[in-house]
Amino acid sequence: MGSYKQQPGSDASEIRRDGKRVAGKQSFPPPGSGGSEPRMRPRDLDYIPETVGGREPKPAGDHIHDRARTGTSVGKAMPLVDSNAKVTGQAWYGDDVRLQGELIGKILRSPHHYARIKSIDTSRVEALPGVIAVATGQDAPNRFGVLPVTKDEHAMAVEKVRHVGDLVACVAAIDEATAIEALSLFDIEWEELEPVFDPKLGLEDHDEPIHWRGKYHLARTNVQKRVFQEFGDRSLVNSPHASSHGTWTMSGVHHGFTEPHAVVAHWDPNGRLQLYTPQQVPHYTHRALSTVLDVPMHQINVVRTFVGGGFGGKSDPFPHEMCAALLARKAGKPVRITFDREEVYWINRGRHPSHIDVKMTADTDGRISSFDIDALIDGGGFASFGHVTSYYNGVLATAPYELGSFHYTGARVWTNKPASGAMRGHGAVNTRCAVEVGLDEMAESMAVDPIDLRLANLLPPHSRTISGFRITSNGMREALERVREGSNWSEKFRQLPLGKGIGIGCGFFISGSGLPIHWDPKNFPHATVHIQVDMDGGVTVHTGAADIGQGSTTAVAQVVSEVLALPVDMIHVRSHESDTSPVDLGSYSSRVTFMNANAAIRAAIDVRDQLLKAAWEMLGYHPNVLVLNDRRIYYKHDPSIGVSYLQALHKAQEDTGALIARGAYRSPPMGGVHKGAAAGLAPAYSFSAYVAEVDVDVETGRVSCTNVWAAHDCGKALNPLAVKGQIIGSCHMGLGQVLSEKMVYGRTGHLQNANLLEYKIPSVHEMPHVEAIIVESSDPEGPFGAKEAGEGPLLPILPAVVNAVYDAIGVRLRDLPLTPDVVYNGIEKHMKTLGLDDPLDLPSPRLEHGPLQATLEARSEAHRERDRLRQRSEDTSAYVNGVLFGFDPNRPLAEQVEGWREADEPLPEQLAELGFAGRAWLKKEQRHMGGDA
Amino acid sequence: MLMPPFELHHPTSVAEAVDLASSLMEQGLGFDWVAGGTDVLPNYKWRINPQPHVISLAAIEEAHSLLPTSIGCMVRLDALTADNGVHPLLVEAAAKVASSLIRKSATVGGNLCLDTRCFWYNQGEDWRRSIDWCHKADCGTGADCRVIPNQNTLCVATYQGDLAPNFMVLGASVHLIGPQGERQLPLSEFYALDGMKKNVLEPGEFLLKVTLPEEAFSRVGSYQKLRVRDSWDFPEAGVAASWIPSQPESLKIASTALESIPRLHNEEVSKTLASNGMEPVAMAAAIHKAVKPVNNTALPPRYRRSMVKTLTKRALRALQQGE
Repeated sequence: MGSYKQQPGSDASEIRRDGKRVAGKQSFPPPGSGGSEPRMRPRDLDYIPETVGGREPKPAGDHIHDRARTGTSVGKAMPLVDSNAKVTGQAWYGDDVRLQGELIGKILRSPHHYARIKSIDTSRVEALPGVIAVATGQDAPNRFGVLPVTKDEHAMAVEKVRHVGDLVACVAAIDEATAIEALSLFDIEWEELEPVFDPKLGLEDHDEPIHWRGKYHLARTNVQKRVFQEFGDRSLVNSPHASSHGTWTMSGVHHGFTEPHAVVAHWDPNGRLQLYTPQQVPHYTHRALSTVLDVPMHQINVVRTFVGGGFGGKSDPFPHEMCAALLARKAGKPVRITFDREEVYWINRGRHPSHIDVKMTADTDGRISSFDIDALIDGGGFASFGHVTSYYNGVLATAPYELGSFHYTGARVWTNKPASGAMRGHGAVNTRCAVEVGLDEMAESMAVDPIDLRLANLLPPHSRTISGFRITSNGMREALERVREGSNWSEKFRQLPLGKGIGIGCGFFISGSGLPIHWDPKNFPHATVHIQVDMDGGVTVHTGAADIGQGSTTAVAQVVSEVLALPVDMIHVRSHESDTSPVDLGSYSSRVTFMNANAAIRAAIDVRDQLLKAAWEMLGYHPNVLVLNDRRIYYKHDPSIGVSYLQALHKAQEDTGALIARGAYRSPPMGGVHKGAAAGLAPAYSFSAYVAEVDVDVETGRVSCTNVWAAHDCGKALNPLAVKGQIIGSCHMGLGQVLSEKMVYGRTGHLQNANLLEYKIPSVHEMPHVEAIIVESSDPEGPFGAKEAGEGPLLPILPAVVNAVYDAIGVRLRDLPLTPDVVYNGIEKHMKTLGLDDPLDLPSPRLEHGPLQATLEARSEAHRERDRLRQRSEDTSAYVNGVLFGFDPNRPLAEQVEGWREADEPLPEQLAELGFAGRAWLKKEQRHMGGDA
Repeated sequence: MLMPPFELHHPTSVAEAVDLASSLMEQGLGFDWVAGGTDVLPNYKWRINPQPHVISLAAIEEAHSLLPTSIGCMVRLDALTADNGVHPLLVEAAAKVASSLIRKSATVGGNLCLDTRCFWYNQGEDWRRSIDWCHKADCGTGADCRVIPNQNTLCVATYQGDLAPNFMVLGASVHLIGPQGERQLPLSEFYALDGMKKNVLEPGEFLLKVTLPEEAFSRVGSYQKLRVRDSWDFPEAGVAASWIPSQPESLKIASTALESIPRLHNEEVSKTLASNGMEPVAMAAAIHKAVKPVNNTALPPRYRRSMVKTLTKRALRALQQGE
């Protein structure tokens, strides 16, 4: 196809060559502007779906957004739009904000694990020359917290400090040295209280529980949240054909982002607060600031700076943000607070240290008849996201497998440690690891290949989990098949020599939380995007979505560019200020691309329709026969009949000026009605399967991961480069958790390694080769079919490595991380059992397929076709978890099975046999004890 | 993170440096020597025993000299390469120190005089306040040791330098210079218990250079380092061994990161040579018996001690295979 000038047919007589304009005519910017390229590029048919006349294969069938595709940028690997700013050092992070006349804020932190503040005398601090403002907890008594149901934080301790490093007071001074000196001048009287460090003790009654929830408090324990969930036919658990049982201890891990927290607060001349902070979730900070400072939200502008890594660690409203605002209000000057690394660990919000117990059973057909999960998680001093984490530890294990029954007890307890919170793979990671390793172990006892066990028990696309989650697209099968093939699994598994191993792990994660935390989705959308196109043709997109390095700004730019057929450099995303951005919930639960790009597509389609309408008026052809392609709109059957983008734009603007459009996304109604049914509910789910290869040095216990085949179903890779980056980055982060990273709490309860030398994030030497495999299942509701790729890819690496270590040395290890001492300890014990002296004599595990193997292979073969038909919507019959067990999906299961349970509280007779965390159900709430206190 | 203020001095000769030290001592002013700064300055930022004066050795030309048998204290670890005629064992050991970036600043003198480390000690000021300080940085409180409580005479912080055991098995000597003049002693006698005293340097004295006997170049050696990551990490245990090929009686073994000082295991080696020859398992058992790590680094002491066996075996096998 030839190319066309952007603005054909300009009348030469109207153009003066002397540099002066024709009288009465103000010329618009030159035609073809919006790119250095004056000519239209041909349509890129390779990136236009075959369903709308292009060449891009659509194995999953039609998608609602296919008609909005123009072949411009979706599906193309491109650098993130903010990468130039980052690689040239011009991106402005929290600590880069410098306002004139700034003061430096420093925070006084608790030296005690748990203590009551009897008095604080600040007179010596205030007398120090150079100190401009001092604040303590008394200055801001209003409580806040990321979840409205668990607001248990203050800007600074009001009554008690709850861990070493908890905030006590803060000062603003003319420079850092003065501020540091001032910290030593506070006179504080303490009353030390008995701290709790072991989460198991948190289940017991305590003289002084860390928080007090009045009539809802569970006896006098430190239990913040307990969960019970039971679904299915529990009779299946009795007399199983095969089973496995693992008890795990998982250390807490931290996000380890590069940029420490930093904040700048400034009250402008009109008395409005301007707060600059690297936040994943600026809107919650906005709300919390309003509560704590007693200032209406419209008098606060939260400016999100570039975020130097978040991973969940910058998604709570933080007390230091409140401190900076309080100090700045008192001082009348801007105040900047930047954390030392130690302070980053003290504010924490990393993954919960967990005790997890997983039992599972299978029947004679190799079907998974039960998962029993018990998770006791250590929340540290505050609730943070813990309410949700308590659910996620169980409910996110209800897929991708079809289960006969599911039983979960979970408890999150407060301890006198820095607060745990949300971290990449929120709540799902630890249980997923335990479940996937359990499956590996059960497969071994059944003498079958663990990949075939999985393939024969997968939920199909367009189905419902046992807990009522709606599964739409599902690329689990393809992911498993591709890593099996890529890794040459069948020639390696259980066949490698001692010290070399290969293992499998799968993952399942939400793509956006179905329930916005602060409102009912019926009343306000999840995400809103505004688009504005003015005379110059550049497209300004306003969104509140926080780009934390994952590329959400790029995703928005790409989808708008795709719909409008404009080069990405004509799309300008403005997302930093709450004054100009529509409300967005923020970057958590892997919701941004799914929800925000959906909203952006809607807004862009609105703009497109306005342009097409103008072109219709100019050309006389109906929009149905007009084509958008690279800054030009033309008649489908004769490309020479057309107008440039700018001409159409200016026509569209004749009466209204700049084009304005908005789009919103809200999830459809879904899910069950039981207590906690909303936890884990998402409009779509991602699936992943990894195979990892490891080398284990049996004489030292050192494990190194050498190769990973990582398949992730992200629905549709809007930007394959970004997806691969997320997969590789997830591998790195997950490898840290499984091999070397842990927050070490020593004999005295102190965090012993609050620095990046002793908190051991893998270096480039520890990084394996990662073969990133993108699986595209085309989600019916995702933007152009896309689902999340930021968190799910982390899940499978942990169990894949643990299973590979077993394959290498024949030892099941269940203490994470697998540091050399843990592995060597396991080897020593195993040698003792076998009566060996030299670890080099250890036997390697081997597999002789049993009779079940053929059953599983036949079933997975049949299911492959089942899944294909369902994915392409050629089979639209109902499918709920239970069909594999012979139930009718169209009738309630409770009618079909005697003893079918769907419960959110244990039966009295169950109390005695609940797992460790389940013991929280032995206690009563104060309101049921006749007390309320 | 703000460095506490100090005055930095740049003497250009050994004599000037010694004079400066003497004069500061006369005035009762505390000071530290600094070479590459990769050990001292992070500690200063954490406000661990900062001094009002710091004397840099960087401008002393003599301290930079690098010959195969004589290495100045200011020689960067990065420069210890085969191209510079450095003994292969030292090349191997230097390449295992920290990261390539740190090796561009870190020096031989600094590595040999490395401060002892402990996770109760290498922490920020607020952190150490929260444990009420420790014996090694007690801030005038007379605080107890936190690793082994109820004894406050001994500091058990761990020496985690990589070069020392390697220099030891090559028979190196150190040259110390100070107000009392110059002296030379075998490196194996340079270190002194405990974790606070660290070595025999007198006030005002510094390590000018380290020398190797000619005999060292007929030795081949091996250095086995245990660490969690292959970059950045200090050794959790380290064993160096060398011999003159096919002469078991020439065998020397030294260990590091297991106690407050690195140690040359002459006695254990000669005893075992007499009973079992150079048999790796027996030798490993003897060295294992001689060390007692404590719980103050990343990995637990029981494990580090077990690994001494593996590391020793591997070092000896490397020597025998190189035969």
